[in-house]
Amino acid sequence: MRIGTAKENYTADEALFDTNIQRGWMIALMIALFALPFMTGQYAIYLVCLVMINIVSTTGLNILTGFTGLVSLGQAAFMGVGAYTVAIMEINLGTPFLLNLLIAGSGAALVGIVVGLPSLRVKGLYLAIATIAASVILHFIFANWTSMTGGVSGLSMPPASLFGLELVQPDQVYWIIMPITVLMLFGAANLFRTRIGRAFIAIRDRDISAEVLGIRLLRFKLLSFAISSFYAGVAGGLWAYFFRVITPESFPLLMSIFFLAAIIVGGMGSILGGILGATFMTMVPEILKMMVGVLSPIWPDAVAVMSPVRVVVFGALIIFFLIFEPDGLAEIWRNIRRFFHLWPFKT
Amino acid sequence: MSIFKIAKQVTGALLAAGLLSGAAHAEDKKDIVLGGSIPMTGVFAFAGVGIHAGITDATKIINDNGGIEGHKLVYVPEDTAYKVDASVAAFNKITSQHDVNLYYGDSTAFSKTISPEVDRLGKMVLTGASFASELNDTKKFPNIFIPGPTYTDMIGILLNHIAKEKPGAKVGLVHSETEFGRDPVEGAKATAKELGLDMSLIISTAPGGVDVSTEVLKIRRARPDFVIFHGYVLAPIPEFISQARAMGLKTKFMGTFWSMDNSMVGKMGDVADGFMGVMPYNYYYSEQANAPMLDKIRSMRDTYQSNAYMQGFFSTMMLSEAVRNTIKAGKELNGPNIHAGLQQIKDFDTGGIIGVPVSVKGNSVPIGRVYQYDLSKKQMVPASDWIRLD
Repeated sequence: MRIGTAKENYTADEALFDTNIQRGWMIALMIALFALPFMTGQYAIYLVCLVMINIVSTTGLNILTGFTGLVSLGQAAFMGVGAYTVAIMEINLGTPFLLNLLIAGSGAALVGIVVGLPSLRVKGLYLAIATIAASVILHFIFANWTSMTGGVSGLSMPPASLFGLELVQPDQVYWIIMPITVLMLFGAANLFRTRIGRAFIAIRDRDISAEVLGIRLLRFKLLSFAISSFYAGVAGGLWAYFFRVITPESFPLLMSIFFLAAIIVGGMGSILGGILGATFMTMVPEILKMMVGVLSPIWPDAVAVMSPVRVVVFGALIIFFLIFEPDGLAEIWRNIRRFFHLWPFKT
Repeated sequence: MSIFKIAKQVTGALLAAGLLSGAAHAEDKKDIVLGGSIPMTGVFAFAGVGIHAGITDATKIINDNGGIEGHKLVYVPEDTAYKVDASVAAFNKITSQHDVNLYYGDSTAFSKTISPEVDRLGKMVLTGASFASELNDTKKFPNIFIPGPTYTDMIGILLNHIAKEKPGAKVGLVHSETEFGRDPVEGAKATAKELGLDMSLIISTAPGGVDVSTEVLKIRRARPDFVIFHGYVLAPIPEFISQARAMGLKTKFMGTFWSMDNSMVGKMGDVADGFMGVMPYNYYYSEQANAPMLDKIRSMRDTYQSNAYMQGFFSTMMLSEAVRNTIKAGKELNGPNIHAGLQQIKDFDTGGIIGVPVSVKGNSVPIGRVYQYDLSKKQMVPASDWIRLD
């Protein structure tokens, strides 16, 4: 049983991991992430990669919506900017993937700043509509700037290569996606230990008070948009390397809603929430599919009959979690941890 | 040596021989696996359910008739909700669990995404719901099969029909602003020019757009004899037709495969009367003589089956025939050999699924027939003979 963690200074209070047990678990997780491709098949690795790409984008949206309080439905379009940037650079210049990803993130960040301008005047649903409008404009550019984007047919790009080795298979692309995801998650977690991160939270809690405290709303709101879009751009770049075919239809508005749902289900304003939300939203449909698959040997038409039911169950699960834990999966996780910390005593 | 030892050795030898012969037999008659990324939920579910039923029935009929040269055909579907990431996930899952020879994909985007992987694996041939013209390139897509004419060919079939009906006619093309919608535009312009038709009216509409009054005004100004819709399933076709009729236009309206399902056209109501379009297969209710496959389908399912059903059924038939050709030739069952087996299909009798014998050309089967909706019968009825593009 652990009653509490004594902290003797501010550095300890701000530490990402405050106990040795946490650090131990983190090391175990890292070892597991490195060992994963050697222990599982392509299907499992494919899903892990997909989850990680979604985690990066969800974390970006969480910075903007969960931590800064600015609603956006343009995350998928920002991913599109990143994906197209990577594809264009890879096809035309053949530059290294790390540089491409960096430029993809930066390009998306610039677009994010422009899209974020209305946030100075409007917020809530009004801002959401402004980001939808931006998303429509970007979609139009993707579909009609044919000389750059390939128009509605999109672009097919060569795979990323590392030391001359082409990264084609999911277990190969994993070695790009996994480290970048880990790095970006640590970056996001650390952001909220800095003045910038705290300014975001102050704006979320009450922007007028934040301004009175000396936080310049223009700078920090746009910075939040830029960082969030940077994450989306990098996620889009990873998506491009993963699928290697990019069309305007690859990044629909529904995808932005997916990310918004992920941070709501996972827990807004929590890095862990973004991780759990993206994992939940990506994996639950697959797990439900597996459950339907189990029925197939005894009921050959199970896939056809149970597929619509599966969609209903997925929706019901989301509603169930929102009703019973409005603070999201992150809060459920914290409750579980608290239970074991104090076990055998009641929380 | 004790009697037990001898008995043990003999039993062991017999067992080994039995197992080995069994294994050899199993190896000889290994299952042929047809994997499928099928959109049974999502925006394309209306077609996915039909495709699934068509593949399931074709598989059953093939297996009831002894399989493919004695090999059982096993169909392994996964729902994709018509999302590329879910389709690729399904592909990875199915290929990691089965030795897949044939695969059905749900979209053009999926076919383009997975095609390099299919080529790399070299084990299977990929078919699917896409009739994208881009896929009809045996060099770029050497392991793909399009179960019918490409979208460009579909427009070509319609234009051939128009050129016969009314030489020099004025034809409009209305397409959605999507990859699917834009696919045949350039090809259609070229074919129209070749056939001496005037295709100066080309209108593109935003995906999901419902207000078409501006576009109908363009049609009124141009007064085309025919307007071909492409890139839609239903909306906004009825809106176009009803507004055009209200303006007194005598234009004939036409569609391509995905807007040609009989029940879907029926949903247009009265404006459906006279709606024409291209269909590569016979309809479920076709009264064509000597159509044992259609009879079989009707005996298995007593209610109307969609054009998507026919597409799934035909895809399975053709792929099975390609596998049969490969086995007969004594070649290894892999992607290039099965694709070569497809190329060997010449004047194949589909048992009435298509009204005339079919041949594979490139990656596709460029054949189709023009149908017209008869409101009194509530059916699409033939308006032309089968048209082959050579």
